[in-house]
Amino acid sequence: MAFTLYSLLQAALLCVNAIAVLHEERFLKNIGWGTDQGIGGFGEEPGIKSQLMNLIRSVRTVMRGKKKN
Amino acid sequence: MHPAGLAAAGTPRQRKWPSKRRIPVSQPGMADPHQLFDDTSSAQSRAYGTPQGPSGLGYPTASASPQAAFLSDPVSNMAMAYGSSLAAQGKELVDKNIDRFIPVTKLKYYFAVDTLYVGKKLGLLFFPYLHQDWEVQYQQDMPVAPRFDVNAPDLYIPAMAFITYILVAGLALGTQDRFSPDLLGLQASSALAWLTLEVLAILFSLYLVTVNTDLTTIDLVAFLGYKYVGMIGGVLMGLLFGKIGYYLVLGWCCISIFVFMIRTLRLKILAEAAAEGVPVRGARNQLRMYLTMAVAAAQPLLMYWLTFHLVR
Repeated sequence: MAFTLYSLLQAALLCVNAIAVLHEERFLKNIGWGTDQGIGGFGEEPGIKSQLMNLIRSVRTVMRGKKKN
Repeated sequence: MHPAGLAAAGTPRQRKWPSKRRIPVSQPGMADPHQLFDDTSSAQSRAYGTPQGPSGLGYPTASASPQAAFLSDPVSNMAMAYGSSLAAQGKELVDKNIDRFIPVTKLKYYFAVDTLYVGKKLGLLFFPYLHQDWEVQYQQDMPVAPRFDVNAPDLYIPAMAFITYILVAGLALGTQDRFSPDLLGLQASSALAWLTLEVLAILFSLYLVTVNTDLTTIDLVAFLGYKYVGMIGGVLMGLLFGKIGYYLVLGWCCISIFVFMIRTLRLKILAEAAAEGVPVRGARNQLRMYLTMAVAAAQPLLMYWLTFHLVR
């Protein structure tokens, strides 16, 4: 079967990398998933799309590391 | 592996000391009060040496003199004291910080089971159709230990079932002459990987649907581990009665696990009103219902996927 924990780790790493390389201006804004476009009101249900956008933004912020001057 | 075996260059005596396998033979016995290991001073090794016969008589005296020479050296005395104090410090550090990485006290709750609970829970896993009340009883804001409530999740059955599944998989492969020891490790790793993937997928979808539940990760691991019981039953029946027995028992266990998961997760994921059986029409509750059904439907699929290659 060869579906091991290591392949899971590889897949997770590739997924995180994929999220980290999504460019904010060139790509996410064009499909309407930019960070300034999503956060609507403070309604009760954030909805799946805004949760996903939050997740992408959080992953990218964490992966960015220290800001260069 | 075992340092005793390595240090002794494979003399058969080493394998007759099962309790002392962790101790390298070349290390002298530690008389330190904080000792982590058993005392294997030369007196004991000599006592073991004499019953072994002439082939073993040379060994304890040979090991005693380098040990004695080792002990008398003052530098090694200091080294031994330093090493044992390091070990004691390490042990204290681990004891203090273990709670940060593995929630030991929380885990103890999941292993507070007794035989009656295990029996009832296994019966529930194979036949959940007559059980009426699926709520976990609470006591002062804390869920009751599994010993007192058959609905509470536990980790004992999933852990035992997982290990039994690995062993039964080895047995099944052995009866078909396909066995080799690394296949056991591969099976274990594969099943663990699927379990991890399931847990991550469910946690991710719970995050997306913004469900406010008290379903912790360990609870989820417990619920997802219950399918190993059905898998074991299916593979054993497949070994005894061939493919027909395997499909029959697996089909029965799949349907049982499906009903069990739906009835258990409905209380945890869906809102209170829906849990009482009233189908609430809201987009949110519908989404949650779909999520519950998807989780429950994934169980039979995984049960089949992880066992079909074992029964031929």
